[in-house]
Amino acid sequence: MFPPPSRPPFPSHSAPIDQDTATRSTDTDALHARLSASRLSYFPDPFVESFVLRAQGVPNRPALINVGTWLRGRSVDALVKGFVQRVGEGGKVQVLSLGAGSDTRFWRISSTPMGGKIARWVEVDFPEVTSSKARAIWKHAQLKGALGVCALTGGGTGVRGEKYALLPADLRLSPEKTLGALLTPANDTDALLSPTLPTLVLLECVLPYLPLREGETVLRWAGERFGKVAVVLYEMFGLGDAFGKVMRENLAVRGVQIPGTVASLDALNERFQRAGFEGQALTLRDIRTHYVPPAENERVAKLELMDEYEELDLVLGHYAVAWGSKGVTGWGMSRAEEEI
Amino acid sequence: MDDLDRQIEQLKRCEILPEPEVRLLCLKARELLIEEGNVVYVDSPVTVCGDIHGQFFDMLELFFIGGWCPDTKYIFMGDFVDRGFYSVETFLLLLALKVRYPDRMTLIRGNHESRQITQVYGFYDECTRKYGSATVWRYCCDVFDYLALGALVDGRIFCVHGGLSPSIQYLDTIRAIDRKMEVPHDGGMCDLLWSDPDDIAGWGLSPRGAGFLFGADVVRTFCHSNDVDLIARAHQLAMEGYKLMFEKRIVTVWSAPNYCYRCGNVASIMSLHENLDQEYKIFTHAAIESYSVPAKRPPAEYFL
Repeated sequence: MFPPPSRPPFPSHSAPIDQDTATRSTDTDALHARLSASRLSYFPDPFVESFVLRAQGVPNRPALINVGTWLRGRSVDALVKGFVQRVGEGGKVQVLSLGAGSDTRFWRISSTPMGGKIARWVEVDFPEVTSSKARAIWKHAQLKGALGVCALTGGGTGVRGEKYALLPADLRLSPEKTLGALLTPANDTDALLSPTLPTLVLLECVLPYLPLREGETVLRWAGERFGKVAVVLYEMFGLGDAFGKVMRENLAVRGVQIPGTVASLDALNERFQRAGFEGQALTLRDIRTHYVPPAENERVAKLELMDEYEELDLVLGHYAVAWGSKGVTGWGMSRAEEEI
Repeated sequence: MDDLDRQIEQLKRCEILPEPEVRLLCLKARELLIEEGNVVYVDSPVTVCGDIHGQFFDMLELFFIGGWCPDTKYIFMGDFVDRGFYSVETFLLLLALKVRYPDRMTLIRGNHESRQITQVYGFYDECTRKYGSATVWRYCCDVFDYLALGALVDGRIFCVHGGLSPSIQYLDTIRAIDRKMEVPHDGGMCDLLWSDPDDIAGWGLSPRGAGFLFGADVVRTFCHSNDVDLIARAHQLAMEGYKLMFEKRIVTVWSAPNYCYRCGNVASIMSLHENLDQEYKIFTHAAIESYSVPAKRPPAEYFL
């Protein structure tokens, strides 16, 4: 009979990681993935390196992660740009990015003619995250220069520029009390966000970390707070299968819990409906197959050796880009042939 | 032999061998492999296994349900290395078993048994991390060049890592290949290691950038021309451990459970009995996951 194997002496996992720290660490994952995808020309981002500490020491990610990062980046970009161009209709729009982390989209869009249509861009995250983002902005003229007249706020946990604001908040608390208060300070008649301008709310990989109920509360708050409002979500879903079970286990090892994931694309749309939005959702797999122009897929296929498509499809099939709108028409993601 | 048995016991404990021992093992393996044809003849009963990809503790599960070698005779259809954390231990254990029991262990080359691919997918890095230099990687790559390209069980079941090639209609064409080299970028040898069956007619371009896609008609013709009942191959993740296609003329056998510590799939091995009846034995990944994944590294990456 086969002898039972003795196990190699690996150190056991260190003391349980504080869950909030673990959740915040996911932004570093996303940031390093964007750095890698940018370096390798999947998704060029001239600003990402400014947010990475010791970027030279950060290794590139595996091809599968780069492909996913590219798909996520270009999909959310297409929706944001579409909103700015189409919904603005010559007028202006405002963006509220919740759980924004180290996202560079404000700088990327500001550096294009579309920047002129942005009335306000507000980013919210845990104070630990906004503090390091504020430091990075202050350190890099390229980032700070885009803000115009600006100041550090909240003891260095925030930044306030002419259009741009970075604010610390815990999204698990009542949005009316946290976001509402931040956006309309009692002593400030000049509210950060207008209730009437078309508003785009970004939630990139944010709701999965919140309990389901808190996530819905955030969506409902956004729907009630603004007259013309759209939401873009990007998140993992459909974790009821073997892949999902392993994902939960693997993330739990590093202290990350994802209580707010939903079971299916339909469930994503239903959550939108319950919050008063009309929603649509696509998997990254669908987007890669049907929404990326063939020439772009061919370009990316040449960047790195990608020899396994079963695993790629399996992983991409568990991530969705979803968008919902209320009082907004003629906006959404278009098929490859009519892409903007 | 005592030395070899000691090495096998050591490797079973997932302990690497010192570099000079790896060198001698690889030299001995090459002497054996150089005598093997491109298509190795194997008699039933034999157990056929798919990709392992350095998932050492999962391979122990495989031996647990399949039986230990030499009690059970094995064909491993390649992709021993890359992606998992224990490619060195996995490949050296299989190689030591090959040298110790040459007639009970057949190793077929997979597309990852290549200098180019192992530099991208982890085996090279693992060797330099565990030995402080690329010497062991070089020894192993030199062995890769001598691995057989296929096996034929009782003349009826053709085993190959990837699949068929438009430039190979007959098994004799494979026998004529000079295989002792790095996997070429195209041509028959490359296709055997890279191609995939697909629901198409005839041949198609592969998204992998090497090899081809081939349809049911291609498989039917090949089986008929070579008097073969079944093509057994690996190379593609099968969530249920194996996948029969094209009126059961071709099967994908996948032996890396929870592939990349991320996919959640089960794995299988195919036991071929004396009458060539196929028995698929399903197994799952090693019980204590945290023991088989080094704690210093995140077990698997996601988009977060």
